Amino acid sequence: MRVALKVWRYDSATGERALREYEIDAPEEATLLDCLDIVKDRHDGSLAYRKSCRMMICGSCGMRMDGAAVLACKTRMYDIAQEGRVPVISAMGNLPIVKDLVVDMDPFWAKFKAMWPWLEPGYERPEDGREYRISQERMNVVHKESLCINCGLCVSECNAMESDPEFLGPQALAKGMRFVGDPRDGATVERLERYNSEHGIWDCTRCYFCNERCPKGVDPRDAIAKLGAESIRLGIDRDMGAKHAKWFVRSAETTGWLREEELIPKTQGYVSAIKQLKFGYSLAKHGKVRPVPIPHVAKDVNEARTLHKLVREQDRQGALGHVQGEHALERLAHGHVNESLEEIYARPGAAPRPWLPEVEEAPSA
Amino acid sequence: MSTTETPLKRVAYYKGCLASLSAKELDTSTQALAPQVGLELVELESVTCCGAGDIHEAEPDYYVHLNARILAYAEATGCDTLMTVCNVCTLNLRQANFMLQGDSDLLARVNENLETVGVPAYSGKVEVRHFLWEIAEGEGYERLKGAAHKGLKGLKVAPFYGCQILRPSKIMGFEDPDRPWSLERIIEACGGDAIDYPAKIKCCGFPIIAAREETALGEVIQPIEQAMEAGADVMVTPCPLCHLSLDAWQQKLEASTGKKFGLPILHLAQLVGVAAGLEESELKFKRHIVDPRPALERLEV
Repeated sequence: MRVALKVWRYDSATGERALREYEIDAPEEATLLDCLDIVKDRHDGSLAYRKSCRMMICGSCGMRMDGAAVLACKTRMYDIAQEGRVPVISAMGNLPIVKDLVVDMDPFWAKFKAMWPWLEPGYERPEDGREYRISQERMNVVHKESLCINCGLCVSECNAMESDPEFLGPQALAKGMRFVGDPRDGATVERLERYNSEHGIWDCTRCYFCNERCPKGVDPRDAIAKLGAESIRLGIDRDMGAKHAKWFVRSAETTGWLREEELIPKTQGYVSAIKQLKFGYSLAKHGKVRPVPIPHVAKDVNEARTLHKLVREQDRQGALGHVQGEHALERLAHGHVNESLEEIYARPGAAPRPWLPEVEEAPSA
Repeated sequence: MSTTETPLKRVAYYKGCLASLSAKELDTSTQALAPQVGLELVELESVTCCGAGDIHEAEPDYYVHLNARILAYAEATGCDTLMTVCNVCTLNLRQANFMLQGDSDLLARVNENLETVGVPAYSGKVEVRHFLWEIAEGEGYERLKGAAHKGLKGLKVAPFYGCQILRPSKIMGFEDPDRPWSLERIIEACGGDAIDYPAKIKCCGFPIIAAREETALGEVIQPIEQAMEAGADVMVTPCPLCHLSLDAWQQKLEASTGKKFGLPILHLAQLVGVAAGLEESELKFKRHIVDPRPALERLEV
């Protein structure tokens, strides 16, 4: 098939940037990485990009296609070529470009290291001197976070990091959760204190680009939410972000609806909130906030209050509350449907069902 | 206007916090517009905040229960659809819904707890849909085309989607999160001119605007600057949180950058409402920080 690509070339030595178009012949099963290999081998040897495994596990070939971060080796080009689209390939975002599609990963690794990406021993060793054994249930807590291949696609798209380059970011924090949630780790509180820094957990703006782009289903935003939940469970809640989150819980159980007018003082503290008075006045003029906040109480709010008490007694605070929903959400990610294989293969236009000798007899024709 | 025989679609209407209070104009314009786009809104009384992602983060188990309670009361109205008017409500409710639908043990436990406190059990059968989706396709879209009789006369409208109506797409699932089309389709159907700019699918910064104002302002400036450079007269958003960030915090952007923006931000129901000829008593533009009326008055000529 004919594949056309536009590639943003960049030379950091000269600062020169140029959009080059390439048209190549590629096999129908070609990925974006295969296409770049063909460009480099047969058309333009000066094109720079990273690659290694070519099978979605080394995490080297992150780049952007039409503005969205992808692993080049996971991106099939067939449909794009059929549509006649000419995608624009560029380097990942939020990291300095070294050349063409190669970014400098040093800032990425610096944040990664800041998480203490190792287990801190501190747990009790089993008395019989055997290995430390962990139940599947305990490992489920960090299952998704363990899938990370450090490719940086989430970091490339992180909206909070664009605004605050020091934000630890989705990859580092997901890695942090991988250790916070590990029952063998002995530094949970120290970690959470560290991750609760100015550029930590509460810098996340919940844009969900990380979940959208992750090629491995890590869902870094959900990992950050787990860290927030663990912090609050352990009383590490001095950050304004934690106070903000807790105010929603307090509102839900007292009035049902968010007590909006008190949100800023409850988040920033009454003293700091005085600085917002002028701003508050401008909102009050248009009826956005009321000078005297009379609670807006939901009907039957006692149910929400009793429910809160009941749920807390059942002790699924912290990350466990998130983990319990993961299995169900993963079914969505993998497109699970309540259909049998027979039904799926009977759909109009479905691919023929492969013949498996142990399941059925060979088709007669 | 078309006099179609099709009855209105009954939907359970979940306002959420902002439309109940600081963004009342979103509620009044949605209620006024609903019958014209084929919707009968059944208002929910005994419902609370969805947690806005904050309860999800702070106490995730409580989050699931609160949202299950909302879904249970929606189901009790006999409607199949729970309609939201806020991105954040949409994500929180859809996410909780999928958790309950995909895990029968969780659903059973949550239902037991709901029944203990006197809430009807939830079967898992309600669908959560944003108002945007209701009018961007199908019957709602057909009715919208008829309702928007006054038109927007080529008004240049910048669509701003925000995050939590596009991503995570496995939970939202309505349109391509990188190439959404629904707002543009509605703008064009109303006779407006949809302008394009890269930040229309990015974050408005609202979730961290109280705790990390500077970081949030670094986000909200992008759509405002880009839309204005592209020649927008107004911006429209399906989310009242994005609205608050873009409208109310614009003055802070002006103070910190020394630039003058003055870009009016409309709720989706207001934009369609203008085209459908709603009154100021329903649109309530006086509640906006950046007054949209000067930009819209040009339409009257």
